[in-house]
Order: sequence, then C-alpha cells, then structure tokens
Amino acid sequence: MVADVEDLKEFNLIVTGVGGQGSVLASHIVAEAAVRRGFRVRVGETFGAAQRGGKVHSHVRIGDMVYGPLCPSRSLDVLLGLEPNEALRLALKYANEETLIITNTRPVPSMDANIGAAVYPDVSSLIDALGRVSGRVVSFDATELAVEAGNERTMNVVLLGALAASGRLPFETESLREAVVGRVPPKTVKVNETAFNLGYDQLQSLF
Amino acid sequence: MSVYEDEPGKRVLMLGNEAIARGAVEAGIQLGAAYPGTPSSEIMPYIAEAAKELGFHAEWSTNEVVAFEVAAGAAVVGGRSLFACKGAGLNVVMDMLMTLPYTGVRGGFVIVVADDPGAWYSSNEQDSRFAALWAELPVLEPWDQQSAKDMTRDAFALSEMLELPVMVRSCTRLSHASGDVCLGEIQKKRNEIVFDKHWKIPYRWNVYGPPGPIEKHRWQKEQMKKALDFVENTSFNRHHEAENGSKVGVVTSGMASNYVQEALNRLGKRDSVHLLILGVPYPVPEKMIESFLDKVDTVLCVEEGEALIERQIHQHVNRLGKNVKVLGRLSDGDMPPVDELDPDKVTSVLARFLDAEPPLSGEDFDVREDLSEMVCARSSSWCAGCPHIGSFWALKRALPADKVNIINTGIGCYEMSGYGIAAAPIDAKDTDESTRWRAVTPYEITDTLYVMGSETGLSQGQYHVGYRDGKIVSVLGDSSFFHTNLPPITNAVYNKAEQLILVLDNYWTCMTGHQPNPSTGLNLLGEDTHVPSIEEICRAFGVEYVKTVDPYNLRESIDTMKEAMEHEGGPSVVVLRRVCALQRIRELRGQRLKAPHYVVNDGCTGCKICLWLGCPAIGFDESRTNAAGGKGVAFIDPLLCVGCGLCAQEDVCRFHAHDKVGEGEF
Repeated sequence: MVADVEDLKEFNLIVTGVGGQGSVLASHIVAEAAVRRGFRVRVGETFGAAQRGGKVHSHVRIGDMVYGPLCPSRSLDVLLGLEPNEALRLALKYANEETLIITNTRPVPSMDANIGAAVYPDVSSLIDALGRVSGRVVSFDATELAVEAGNERTMNVVLLGALAASGRLPFETESLREAVVGRVPPKTVKVNETAFNLGYDQLQSLF
Repeated sequence: MSVYEDEPGKRVLMLGNEAIARGAVEAGIQLGAAYPGTPSSEIMPYIAEAAKELGFHAEWSTNEVVAFEVAAGAAVVGGRSLFACKGAGLNVVMDMLMTLPYTGVRGGFVIVVADDPGAWYSSNEQDSRFAALWAELPVLEPWDQQSAKDMTRDAFALSEMLELPVMVRSCTRLSHASGDVCLGEIQKKRNEIVFDKHWKIPYRWNVYGPPGPIEKHRWQKEQMKKALDFVENTSFNRHHEAENGSKVGVVTSGMASNYVQEALNRLGKRDSVHLLILGVPYPVPEKMIESFLDKVDTVLCVEEGEALIERQIHQHVNRLGKNVKVLGRLSDGDMPPVDELDPDKVTSVLARFLDAEPPLSGEDFDVREDLSEMVCARSSSWCAGCPHIGSFWALKRALPADKVNIINTGIGCYEMSGYGIAAAPIDAKDTDESTRWRAVTPYEITDTLYVMGSETGLSQGQYHVGYRDGKIVSVLGDSSFFHTNLPPITNAVYNKAEQLILVLDNYWTCMTGHQPNPSTGLNLLGEDTHVPSIEEICRAFGVEYVKTVDPYNLRESIDTMKEAMEHEGGPSVVVLRRVCALQRIRELRGQRLKAPHYVVNDGCTGCKICLWLGCPAIGFDESRTNAAGGKGVAFIDPLLCVGCGLCAQEDVCRFHAHDKVGEGEF
C-alpha cells in the first residue's frame, strides 16, 4: 500500500550464469530464506525462449518494502556469477564500486564462440575487468569444489555457501543453509551440505 | 503444494502464475482450460495440481479458442471457470470473446491474459487490455504476486455480480517473477451446476434468440454501468495525495506502478506528486479521476503497454472541461514508444518530468563501454541431440541450391531456424543497417515467421499467386498441427496448393516447457489418452503424398523430402518423428540408463562442417593440429553430447571423424 512506504532499506542480488547451471534455483533458495525471516521479497527471472545453454540471470530483492522484481542499474549489494563471462555482462550494468562480486572462474564457451562468430576472452582478463567495475571481487573455481563435494551440479550451492560467508546477507547463515536443505532433491542433501560448507570456507579463506 | 494448502495467513514465496492459480482456488474454481503460451504457461499446471486434489476438471485444450469455449460452457451452466492464455493467444479467441458478453455468464468466468512487453517469448508486445475495452468488459491489472492472487479471487465475484466475463491482465514481469504472498481462505462452497434456458432474459444463451443481439448488447452496456460502482469503491484503485500543494500528478497501473513508486523514492519526490494507482485500468473510476484532476495541472501517465488509461484521462479532461495537460505514450517524447518498462527507464522519465536529478552519474561510462566489448555473445540454441537439428540439416540439403526457396515456419522450438544464434549485431560499431543485423548462424533457413498456423496458409498464397522461383515449404510441430493447421491443410488439398509440409513431431509442446498435447498420449491430469495419427488425418483430408521419417536418419530424410517436393497437384506431407531430446534424457534417467556419446577422432580435418549443425555440444579447438596438417580440430563436450549420432553421419562428416563411445542408443 502506498501509505506504508517510507523505508528504502533493501538488499539487491543478481545470480547469473548459463541455462542448466541452477542460477534460478539459487536465487529462489535465497528468496525462501528471506521469506521465512519475514522480509518482503521479489525474484525476477530473465531468460529468453531457449531451453538450455542461454544466458540466465535472476534478480532477488529483499527488504522491509520492495517494489518490482527488477534491480535498477548499479544497485547491487552482491553479484553471484556462476560463469565468469556472464558475471562481467551483468556487472557492467548492475554493479557499482561497492558491489561484492563473487564469481566462479570456470568458463562455459558459447556457441557463438564455437562457430567463430565471437571470441571468448581469457578468464584472467574477465576477472581483471570485474576488478575495474568493483573493488570487491572474489573469484575461485567453484566447479572444482562442487566436484570435490561429490557432484558437479552443486556448483550453485558452493556459491551460496560463499554468499553466506560474505556476511552481506540480511539474515544468518543458518537460514540460508536450511533453505538449501529444503529446496534440493532429498537424495542430494548431504552432497549439497558439503558443497555449501566448501564454498563457505573458500570465501572465508579469501576474504 | 501452496496452491491448495488450506492454511490461511501463511506467508509463502509464489511465482506470479502460481499466485493467479491460488486466487482461483481460493474462489472455488470448478473448471480451468488453457493452451500453453509463455509467460502464461504455468497457470494451468498449478490449477491442475489443485484439480487433482480437490476434484474438478482442468485441461490443456488443443488451442486457445477451444479452451475459452470449454471454460465459457462451464460458466453458462453456473460453474466458476478460468481461461488463461498469453497475449497472442487471446487473438485466437476474438470471435467468441466479442460475442459471449451479449449473453453474459452465470458462473464467474475469469479470462487471464499474460502479455509480454519486451517480446521476451513472443512475436509481438500487444497490450491485451484493449481487448477488454473492445469487448466492453472490465479488466483488472495486478502489480505484484499478492494482488495477482487477490484480484483473480475477487474477479470471480465481480463476474457473477455483473454476469459478465472479467479479464485479469498479467505480464512477463509478474507471471515470471516470485514474491511473498499471504494465503487466504479456500472457499469450500461450490456453485450449483444448472441450466436455465431463459435465465433472467429470454433465450439467454442464444444471441439470436428474441429479443436478439441488439437488445442483448443493450443489456451488456447496462451491466457495465454496475462496474462503475465497483471501481469507485475497490481498494485496488488508490489515490495518494501530495503534501505540499503540488500541482503535478502521475497515473499508473500494474507493473509500472512499482517502477513509479520506486523512482519517486529514489528521486526524493514521493510526497510532491499526486499519485493515482489504478488496479482497474478499464473502466476507470470517474469520480476518483475527477477529484484527482481537481488537484493537478499536469499529469503523466505511466502504463506497461499502450495508452489505455491515458486515453480515458483525456476523455475525462475533455468531459469536465479541465485545463490539464496530459502526457504519456500519446505525447511525443515523454515515454519510450516501445519495449517494456523497467526501473531505470521510469526513473529517467520521471526525473525529466519532475525536473529532478537522476540518481546515476555515469562517470565511468566509457570504461564500461570498453569492457562491454570483451563480453562474449551467448545466443540461444537448440539442445544437444534436438531432432530439429536433423530435420533442418536435411531440409537444407534437400532444397535445390540454385533456387530462391521460401521456408514458412510457425511457433515452436523450430522457430529458432529463423534467428538462432548470433542474431545480435555482429559488430556493434557497424552503422550500416544493411549489414549490422546480418546473423552469422548455422540455423538461418526460415524466411517467414509470424504466428501459430500462419505457415501453411502463407505457403498457399505464395503458390497460387504464381511464385515459381523455388520450392515452397511449411514447417510446423505436432502441437501446432492440432492447434491451427487442420483448416489450412484441408484448404491446401481443397484448392490444390502445391507445397511441402514438414510436421516435426517430437510428442511434446516443448518451447513452453514440455506440456502434453494429443501427440503425447497424456493429458494435463496425467491420464493416458488416444494418440491421433497425423498421417491418417492428412490422408483423410486428401493429401496424396504422406511419408514418415526419423530426423536422426539424414539420408532417408533428405531423399524423402526431395521426393515429396516433386509431388504435383496438391500438398505433400513429411512427418519427421523423434521424441524431444530433453524428454528422452528424462526417460533414460528414469530407467537408470546412460546415453552413449561421441568423440572426434584423429581423422578430423578441421573443416568445421559439423559445427554448422548448430549442436551446442560441438566446439572447436584452434590450438591442435588436424589430419590435413592445418590448425584446429572439432571437439565434443562429453557432458552435453547425448549420442544422437547426427554429426557422425556421412551427410555431415565425410571424413568419418566422429566415433561412438558407450553402449546402447539415445
């Protein structure tokens, strides 16, 4: 309601990656944790018409009062990159100097690059470029940690663990951990918990 | 499942489409019908979850007008029913939509339309609220998931109060966004199902029945006057007055109202504008607008779509003889003319309107522009193993290369044959319009692309008007075949139009998220159903040439298409049948079977032909030396490859450089 709106306290997060990496699920896990903690939440998913392999990014907005599902330009508190090229694409529009950028370094080349219509840049230059947008960039091979946890597909949860460790979320680590356990397939709870912890420890060691 | 969970007061995270379904369930819905169309596609599956639990009927119909009529039939006999579609789907319904209001309905009938401003999933960005204006029906426009639920629920009661269908207009950013929703009570009482031929009006359900269509139209207009009472009193319409004697106002609705409120906050102008948020954009509340217009001398209208409210504001300014300046989509330069709105666009529109400082300084704009050139393009593609990859490879080979052939395609995953990858400008700095939009893509084969079912009719016009410079081909899918292709195929036989019709039957309606259709053998409620034979239907219509091939067999597909194109005196049909690769992967997973995959062997000459299949599993390594002594060999991503074997066939790789690894067939 219009009259309620005074407060601008908000937390803006974008999770970005390639179709099939689980960026939409990761964003929903953060959103569910926030709803359980009593926040107002909006999640906006952006994707084209393709089923697989396209670029995907999901906006999460948490606060006492939130409006539409889309984050304004340069408004992010955190950008979570499941793929480094996609992290840079989104950082250029939505990140500011204070945005914490946590990104996987494992590249997923695009079809455009495969057929020679585009060039996929070196990962190191992608990370350097992220550093020119924000002073707070944390990058590591989250896919490797997911493999270590026991399933490459838990890479998104590795990054959620890192997000929890960053201390930037407006709620405690346990809320996010519970939301992970509540949303992943029951048979994969253990491997996802391991992935979450590996991401958590990784960020703490780098931060 | 939150959609039928009986826990009033519980707060849950809901997708917009789920919230719409929940609203219908809270209202005691008795029937739901739809045809899939993104961004509306999830509404009916959510309703079906409740249908199975609570015991009512929900269905995927074969097209939108059938779904609309199924839902209307339920409402005629008193049941509460809901029809859902995307913006383009509503166009399929227009005949019945324009006529049903003359008789009205007995049970609440809610028409949910999810528009797609920005054309994320659609071939247009129409504003379907105008269909409500045209058909003279009220339209509600939710702005978040909570209002989507509440408006859908209340729309049933409004429909029964007016005895008219009521439209609820969603859009991509609502339907495909999630938000916190407080669940309400689920109404347990159901409407009685009853047929009364002369309910309140003689021959009520027959527009021609005495007193006839003109009197029934008059009745409808009288009913709509009752809607005016509703709109003056509903809490869905809200007026927030400015505090400091300001004379500027903003009128907004739906998703746009979020962007407006956020922008006003960011600009620090929250209390210096009169803000009118209309949850009901048609008909607008006259008295509320009158008191709003008393306080302002300039009004900006911010709507997601075209100028529906803005036109009504103009009308009331004229009616009242006010000296108020009205800006919006109709005044040049005040609002972006096309594309969806977002917080940035609305902030800059309002900053200009209110003469305020925009929040972004943009000092590092040049740095960001430089860096943006580094970002690698990532276009959409077909999935690895998609049968369409084989179908289109075969079509390219079967067509006479020296002719100007016309490929007419409709809506489905195969539409990607019309843009596919790298359809974005190849060189952002290329200012030559004739070259900058030229796609570099393996997929570019389709020539015309509009809407579902248009392909087969377009082909006939091209043929009959005398186009003979090349072959004419129509490409459609299984769901499109049943949706809107039965009349045009009948017509092609009837009027002797020569064309090749390719039916790409992969058993599912895939692009909207794998909904079942008659070709699947399942319905929305999960029941086994009869699978009609596409071949037998075509033969029964009188198509003389009908053959079926496997699109994974390129040689047979090419030869069959060539033969079919030689057929004279009417259309020929080739059915390319193979299950969707993603569904096949799910089948294998269910059976705990592993698909084989392919690897590139030392025979690769680096010719890159297999890359032009457009399979996302195939890449190219520039650093390795190939069999021809040059640089570069193809490679196959073992995680993406499903082992369809298309790349290994003679018609793709004549060097036999692709080997199968693993047992079994995909």
